[in-house]
Amino acid sequence: MRNAVDPVQLEIIRNALVAAAEEMSIAVYRAGRSNAIREMLDFSTAVFDTDGRNIAQAARIPMHLNTMAPCLETILRDFIPADEWEEGDVVVTNDPYCGGSHLPDILTFQAVFVDGKRVGFTGAMCHHSDIGGPAPGSYNTSATEIYAEGLRIPPLKIKARGELNTDVLALLLQNVRERTMFRGDLMAQIAALEIGGGHVLRLGDKYGFATLTQASSQILDQSETAVRRTIESVPDGEYAFEDFVDDDGISDDPIRIAVQLTVSGDRVLVDFAGTSSQVAGPVNCTLNVAKCAVYYAVIAGLGGEFQANSGCYAPIEVIAPEGSVVNAQAPAPVVNRIAVGHRVVNVILGALSQARPDHIPSAYYGVSYLYALQAAEGDDKGPVYLDSIVGGWGAEPSRDGASSFSCGLHNLASIPIEMVEDRHPIVFTKYALRPNSGGAGKFRGGLGMIREWRLESDSGVFAANFDRFRHPPFGLHGGEPGSVGRLTLSRDGQTQALGSKVSGVALRRGDVITVETSGGGGFGNPNERHPEAIQLDLDTGYVTRAATERDETR
Amino acid sequence: MAANNWSHRIRMAVDIGGTFTDFQVFNESNGTLHELKTPTTPADPAVGLVTGLNLAADRYGFDLSEVALLLHGTTIATNAVLERNFPDCALITTDGFEDVLEIGRHMRKDVYGLYAEDRVLLVPRTLRFGLRERVDSSGRVLVPIDREQAKCLATEVENSGVKAVAICLLNAFMNPVHETAIRELLLEAAPDLDVSVSTDISPEIREYERTSTTVLNALLMPVVRGYVERLEARLGETGTEPRVLLIQSNGGMSTPGVAAQQPARLLLSGPCGGAIAAEHLSQVLSFENLVAVDMGGTSFDISLVHQGRAAMVTEGEIDGCPVRLPMVDIRTIGAGGGSIARVDDSGRLRVGPESAGADPGPACYGHGGTLATVSDANLTLGRLLPAAFLGGALALDRDAAQRVIARSVGDPLRLSVEDAAEGMVGIANANMANAMRLSLFEKGFDPADFALVAFGGAGGLHAVALAEELGMNRIVFPRAAGTLSAYGMLWTDILHQAAQSRILEALPQSLGTLQGIAQSLLSEGRAALDADGIEQDLWDLTLSADMRYVGQGYELTVPWDGLSVDEDVLNVAVADFHAAHRARFLHADPSEPVEIVTLRVAARGRLERPDMVQDLVPASNAKSLRHEIYANGAWHEVDMLRRSDLRPGSPLKGPLLITEEFTTILLLSNWRVEMHPTGNLIAERA
Repeated sequence: MRNAVDPVQLEIIRNALVAAAEEMSIAVYRAGRSNAIREMLDFSTAVFDTDGRNIAQAARIPMHLNTMAPCLETILRDFIPADEWEEGDVVVTNDPYCGGSHLPDILTFQAVFVDGKRVGFTGAMCHHSDIGGPAPGSYNTSATEIYAEGLRIPPLKIKARGELNTDVLALLLQNVRERTMFRGDLMAQIAALEIGGGHVLRLGDKYGFATLTQASSQILDQSETAVRRTIESVPDGEYAFEDFVDDDGISDDPIRIAVQLTVSGDRVLVDFAGTSSQVAGPVNCTLNVAKCAVYYAVIAGLGGEFQANSGCYAPIEVIAPEGSVVNAQAPAPVVNRIAVGHRVVNVILGALSQARPDHIPSAYYGVSYLYALQAAEGDDKGPVYLDSIVGGWGAEPSRDGASSFSCGLHNLASIPIEMVEDRHPIVFTKYALRPNSGGAGKFRGGLGMIREWRLESDSGVFAANFDRFRHPPFGLHGGEPGSVGRLTLSRDGQTQALGSKVSGVALRRGDVITVETSGGGGFGNPNERHPEAIQLDLDTGYVTRAATERDETR
Repeated sequence: MAANNWSHRIRMAVDIGGTFTDFQVFNESNGTLHELKTPTTPADPAVGLVTGLNLAADRYGFDLSEVALLLHGTTIATNAVLERNFPDCALITTDGFEDVLEIGRHMRKDVYGLYAEDRVLLVPRTLRFGLRERVDSSGRVLVPIDREQAKCLATEVENSGVKAVAICLLNAFMNPVHETAIRELLLEAAPDLDVSVSTDISPEIREYERTSTTVLNALLMPVVRGYVERLEARLGETGTEPRVLLIQSNGGMSTPGVAAQQPARLLLSGPCGGAIAAEHLSQVLSFENLVAVDMGGTSFDISLVHQGRAAMVTEGEIDGCPVRLPMVDIRTIGAGGGSIARVDDSGRLRVGPESAGADPGPACYGHGGTLATVSDANLTLGRLLPAAFLGGALALDRDAAQRVIARSVGDPLRLSVEDAAEGMVGIANANMANAMRLSLFEKGFDPADFALVAFGGAGGLHAVALAEELGMNRIVFPRAAGTLSAYGMLWTDILHQAAQSRILEALPQSLGTLQGIAQSLLSEGRAALDADGIEQDLWDLTLSADMRYVGQGYELTVPWDGLSVDEDVLNVAVADFHAAHRARFLHADPSEPVEIVTLRVAARGRLERPDMVQDLVPASNAKSLRHEIYANGAWHEVDMLRRSDLRPGSPLKGPLLITEEFTTILLLSNWRVEMHPTGNLIAERA
């Protein structure tokens, strides 16, 4: 064992590695093209050690962050072993069955070399606006195999020894709808790798690579220790919880997510026995994605002060039955994997609430309300409008839940209405908090929102990947559930409810789409709610009198 | 008063900070400059200001009636927002969009937070009113205002008892007809209301940012107007009638009248005096590129001067609320003398971002602080002098500093108190250097092309370490490092900035519309300067445009050549855009169509620049004392000098400690330093 790096140098190196990840993030943002990158900030960056473990990351999207390390580890183990990476190589993949997440998320990795020796990796992950397939935006809710979700890129070298493989690039560009943007975003995430690598090299020059390697392992150890200490403070025991995803968009069958969480000493075992088998529709998670959701939920639920990296994962063991929705096997479709991912977070926090009843909030909205529209004027198809909106937070143990705010696995910025209207032929008719959507309780769940627009072109094709239309976000300790979400299409004065997962919906001029998102669950007995809080809810209209009366007569 | 009748001879710059009010007193008749500090009086900052004026008049022998110009930086607007200290305000939006302000951009900062981070809500839902109207993205009226509903709404707003109203309607920047109509109805119903209209303060695309800016402006109108009135009354009592100008976040000055109408422009003016001072230093020292760092007790502010101009941004935020107005680009992190060091559960030594603040402050202040701070570390290392802090106003307790460092850092990590202290300083330095690197990197700049300007109470002690970390070879330690923001204000102009969003392809067929917008913005700028009483030969108007590739979600501000809008100018602007895009974002595609999103006018009314002379008194024996400091794991004896004893023309070699009234400079052994004829110290790597 080498000499330990002293605590001062360790802290300096740790912060410098985080700054390297930040610098990569700025690089992606600077060179990125799409709304997904520039307005929604749907990308993440990280630095890895030689084993593919994540040492430092630019914190942004939980769903990304804990996906990158398992993906790189999978690539190194099953596809391109470390000794086949040469200087200037960039490996790209988006394949969920090769460590990826879902097809629109493209991951790129590059090894950092010093004197011909690999000392680590840098990685960047970006959500691309389109990766081909039948649905604009590549959210094909009717897919029953991954082949219907767009283009799969197995782990391959898109750059070899610094040389861009233009054949591969041409193949990719030929298969996507937003070619210029796609190229711009992909080049941005590739360029960022080199920039992060440069930062790591500078650190190596300054401290020596032996020190840097030793520091990396201490950084991971410290995070692991911090997580273990916090787990020790959670009472030992077995905590079970279950919740449901409405359906897979193909059949109406609910999908059970069951978890048994065993806390013993400084370890947590997360067992998904009893969880539904993988389904025909695209809500399945690969094991990597399920793990990502577990890691996120446990780290957040412990509420400790951790530097999030691969070290945090070591004390957490995940058992997921092969062929279940949390360990789907090829060729199951996965594009809306976040539906199950969110529910994994909900059930783990639900289980943890038995161990830490005074800490864990009620269920948050639990779904990324993601929809896509491609409008057309005659035969002239316009650009894809992709949006992702949010709902209410679960009520906290001593406070109402936040309304319409990113939570859990989800963390995206909204796209300004005026930016959407400038680029797409739609007119928004409402963008507002959704009254009465927060679950009642001593503390009320946060409100969901209403986003409503009218198509102003000849036609359009609409797709939505929603959930929580039948199984509302749960309340805790007597709090009531938040309201379920809703999607409607209004045409010629008639309003029609759509399912939570639709694609290929043909729209015509004047059609109005209304999205109403779920609120958070309530916390504690509603009868204990402070009268002033009740009055304030009525005054502000967060809760309407009519809804109160309905509750009373029930 | 005739605008340019500045026959009087005293020009004063006053910067009111949280703890101290800083003064720079410039005597135009003999070119001398003095600095002064008085305690800030938070209840009514004008009181402390007047105290300082009297003190300066006494000390430097002039009559208050001789003060011609008072250049003033105030955090009155900033503090009002941070403390939510303003009257209720109503918000009128397009019907159905009343919650835009509350929903915001719905992205969180604390990714793993179990609980939602606090979000500031400036107007409660009960005071947000929806007006039935709609304008589309091309400016076409889809739903005309219903005058009856609008009148009812105006009455409702009046009955709500608010003092201020913000109006922000969807796509109003494309066509303000409805905003204008509802404002008129409101003022008919209640002529005394303060009304802030989005098309006046921020006529740019993105509804949440525009709403937030408009609301902040409305909330601050009564606050700033009240302050200006109080200030003028206080000044009146002293028998002085200087022309008062207020510094804005864009580094330019505005008249009190304009500030009261557009107070949001003052919101982030606090730290920008330093950036403006750096811009001035860049000119007098002929250093094109500077990174200016202001390290005080709690925060570390970074600004950039590139090719002689302070870097600007078109948007900032205060307490999480967007302010979409042009401002000096400043990155702030929580690092300063008061930054707290602690060892966490996993054995990590962390420094900041939490700060002990001014009260109780670092343990060495002896005011009951029990946490180890960076100042305690500097004192332990011999870099701060116990008796000379704040010009001797506060005696520092070295024993207390060593005790808390041993307890909080040394013992848990099994380090000697000196090594623990040096470690704390090292981590603080690394954090600051990382932030500086990101500030440069996001603009595509290389630190090696920049010189460092270090100021603020703690800047001098950390500058060399920061420069070395970033590979910078030159450091400027400005004169007046303790009152540099006020110093910067002496070199400003009156500045009006107006903007108009209109998305147009950068093609000849857009020229007609562009010309119309440019003419209207230029007239607005000229009228504003005229209203300020600035003579025409001192006017300086410039045009710029926010441009992007068609369909892109973000813009770059490109300066335009001259004030005419024709095909040649447009072509040059497009070419400049491609070049700027490549510099900033690493790629450009001249074959792709470009569009203009926002046209901007800056109307500058030049203020006369004073000529300064160096007030060199003959050197009293430049005495150097020997003093022990701890560095690189050992104690070293170094020379210690007073800055006031230094003169141009005799370079000194590090290691060296240079003391001045409000700060101390530490120079390591591979650096030498020389006083520039302007009184600034310039250090270079040997």
